[in-house]
Amino acid sequence: MLFASRSFCCLGIRTYQLQTDLLCRSIRLSASATMAFRHKNARRIEGLDSNIWVEFTKVAADSSIVNLGQGLPDISPPSYVKEELAKAAAVDRLNQYTRGFGHPSLVKALSQVYERVCGRKIDPLTDILVTVGAYGSLFSTMQALIEEGDEVIIIEPFYDCYEPMVKMVGAKPVFIPLRYKGNGNSASSADWVLDAAELENKFNSKTKAIIVNTPHNPIGKVFTREELQVIADLCIKHDTLCISDEVYEWMVYKGKKHIKIATMPGMWERTITIGSAGKTYSVTGWKLGWCIGPQNLIKHLQVVHQNTLYTCPTPLQEALAQALWVDYKRMDDPDCYFYSLPRELESKRDRMALLLQEAGLNPIVPDGGYFMIVDVSTLDVDLSGIDEKQPYDYKFVKWMIRSKKLSAIPLSAFCGPETKKQFEKYIRFCFIKKDSTLDAAEAILKNWNKQAA
Amino acid sequence: IRDIFSLTFFPLSLQAKMSRPVQARRLEGTDKNIWVEFVKLAVTYSKVNLGQGFPDFPPPDFLKESLEKALSGGNHMLHQYTRAFGHPPLVKILAQFFGKLLGQDLDPMTNVMVTVGAYQALFCCFQAFVDEGDEVIIIEPFFDCYEPMVKMAGGTPVFVPLRPKPPKGSKLMSSADWQLDPAELASKFSERTKAIVLNSPNNPLGKVFSRGELELIADLCVKHDVLCISDEVYEWLVYDGKEHIRIASLPGMWDRTVMVGSAGKTFSATGWKVGWTVGPNRLLQHIRTVHQNSVYHCATVAQEAVAQGFQREFKLYGKPDSYFVQLPKMLQQKRDRLVQSLDAVGMKPIIPEGTYFLVADISQFKSDVPDVPDSDEPYDSRFAKWMVKNKGLAAIPLSAFYSEAHKNNHDHFIRFCFAKEEATLKAADDILQKWKREKSSP
Repeated sequence: MLFASRSFCCLGIRTYQLQTDLLCRSIRLSASATMAFRHKNARRIEGLDSNIWVEFTKVAADSSIVNLGQGLPDISPPSYVKEELAKAAAVDRLNQYTRGFGHPSLVKALSQVYERVCGRKIDPLTDILVTVGAYGSLFSTMQALIEEGDEVIIIEPFYDCYEPMVKMVGAKPVFIPLRYKGNGNSASSADWVLDAAELENKFNSKTKAIIVNTPHNPIGKVFTREELQVIADLCIKHDTLCISDEVYEWMVYKGKKHIKIATMPGMWERTITIGSAGKTYSVTGWKLGWCIGPQNLIKHLQVVHQNTLYTCPTPLQEALAQALWVDYKRMDDPDCYFYSLPRELESKRDRMALLLQEAGLNPIVPDGGYFMIVDVSTLDVDLSGIDEKQPYDYKFVKWMIRSKKLSAIPLSAFCGPETKKQFEKYIRFCFIKKDSTLDAAEAILKNWNKQAA
Repeated sequence: IRDIFSLTFFPLSLQAKMSRPVQARRLEGTDKNIWVEFVKLAVTYSKVNLGQGFPDFPPPDFLKESLEKALSGGNHMLHQYTRAFGHPPLVKILAQFFGKLLGQDLDPMTNVMVTVGAYQALFCCFQAFVDEGDEVIIIEPFFDCYEPMVKMAGGTPVFVPLRPKPPKGSKLMSSADWQLDPAELASKFSERTKAIVLNSPNNPLGKVFSRGELELIADLCVKHDVLCISDEVYEWLVYDGKEHIRIASLPGMWDRTVMVGSAGKTFSATGWKVGWTVGPNRLLQHIRTVHQNSVYHCATVAQEAVAQGFQREFKLYGKPDSYFVQLPKMLQQKRDRLVQSLDAVGMKPIIPEGTYFLVADISQFKSDVPDVPDSDEPYDSRFAKWMVKNKGLAAIPLSAFYSEAHKNNHDHFIRFCFAKEEATLKAADDILQKWKREKSSP
């Protein structure tokens, strides 16, 4: 490059500009080649780059594999829900921006549904924020209310995003495991409990929040009133926030009741309750969620929202609002989707449990949600061929995908570092699947048993 | 006993609030937002809303049809999660499209990421790269979200103004007449500078940065090893034969630039909230990390429809039927119409080279809205509020697009959005004409 510029020197002053340009460009080119951008990623995301789903959702693309892994329905959403979206998208002004904190008709519908459920007045404009999935509500809550120096209690196993979100705001996750207290026979998610004394020890003056997920992913536990009272008492005693992830609130099976911790005495003022359209209406791809709470907390989440993505998509919000009205009007009717879906899922749950039992396994039958965990170490499969360094359940799932064409999710993905060993025998199956998918799973599991014999 | 205990030792539980300050420090200085106030005013008072930037005409038929097709087709899996970093058909066509524009091969999996609007793309950029103590250069006037986003990431915004050079004679000013002072810009770069935000075409002025101006910025980025966050949401809205130049295509810039784009602006569908980032993997990997820990997935069906929209445009690129040819043509006419209306009544519009905004000088209207000495509120803000309440015409004060310290530097301009139906622009014209008549009659 310098050689070229020197040869132009002789051509006089007119070429000076061209020469300088060439020099500049040569500096730029060599700069880009040799000077690596010295800036790396911001500290807040250090160590947060790996993610179980990036690896395991690739599986979903392979249609030869029976996918009971990632939590997405392959059943159709109800037809009125799909129709409302088509109707909304046909209205011109619904293709443009709506209110940032939530489309007016949607926050109104949400306030009505939840006023009924909670038995208290909920202001649609100040007590509700609509977000991009419940994921967005969790993120907004963390960013708004948690920071460096804070501790956040996370119950294990946990939906995997809680830990990186807590870390991203500079806070410290404090883990406490659910422990199996059953008698070894047919297990239920209700057999997994928190030790009250152990939980009490996790609270201190730095504890900013506890995350409660009920119904629980992955175990399917539906926390009882008594269990929630223990948590509530500690929150009040230590003046702690409660982040209540209730995305599976409607998926509760016979004999169980979903309790909202925010409705317990002393809890409304310190609880953010999170819900999900994706789970409520089997439309995970709509990515709409919401958080409900007292104005003095929600206002900070709204500030985060206005500085992160400002508005959620309009036609989806309008469609969701209309769907909620349909079901709000029939909340006394068993045909309400909030009740018909869990009925449909309960038989799938029972079928899944049976299939796993017939394959010689002992699944934990969930009281809620659409996941089921099972200890697979009893199968004593030879995993020596798989990469040594990964936990048992990761190796098992990879083996199962490869040799059985069936996928699930390893449970150690949902644990903190101390507990991974406890849970690495378990894998998680998702059963919100159409009959043909469960038929295909049945075929694999029946065959499996035969081969093992 | 438990209750007595809580009453005695924790009397604050009687209040309906948590006792300690509850919000995180990162929110400091980010809570004010111009739109909350001005959108409310527009909803309450305006008969003609040229304020917030969105079209009042529909998205093109082919886009609506794409969505309709997606919804009426048998594939109900379009209502479930898609790939988190972008629906495969969409990232594929974006990689193809922008690869062609940049003259290089782009990998859809690593050089493109889909976001919830360009807004979320910007958020991811700041969160991915800005640490406490980092400086980020922002060119004023700026789309208002840049400042709170930098602050929320712990960064320090460093502002550098576009300075108006008055045009010769009585010609109307052009957005091209607002320019950076090269020495001033250079002085803003320090060893703490992490990034510069470039918005071209620029909201609110409508400036389309020239090649020379972009080279000036590029040289400084390379010299100081700084990132460029290039907000190009209005990339198709350029007028008078001007060319939108992508700074990432300049030497030394691809490796340090993240381009941000928007389906909302590209396809006149702001309510769909589909945006994207395009850049080298070594930068996008960190943006992916932020995304997977904040919203993770974007809505599937909108991405499917936008993918089809882009596929159509890829085939029609440069042809007269292309929406990217027709939209700017249509908007240029609307621009000229609004310019005429404003000029006729004594507001002095600055003719924008791009975007669907224009800024007009309202100094001649001081008689209607007198100055208030020692007022905290910038003049243009008071004027805009008065105008919407008394004339029913909504616009946004230019001071909204300046940092707190500089709000009064240019306090006699207001911004109009002209992405409006003919009927809306006619109604605006009627209001302005009536206003002029009222001013000139005794």
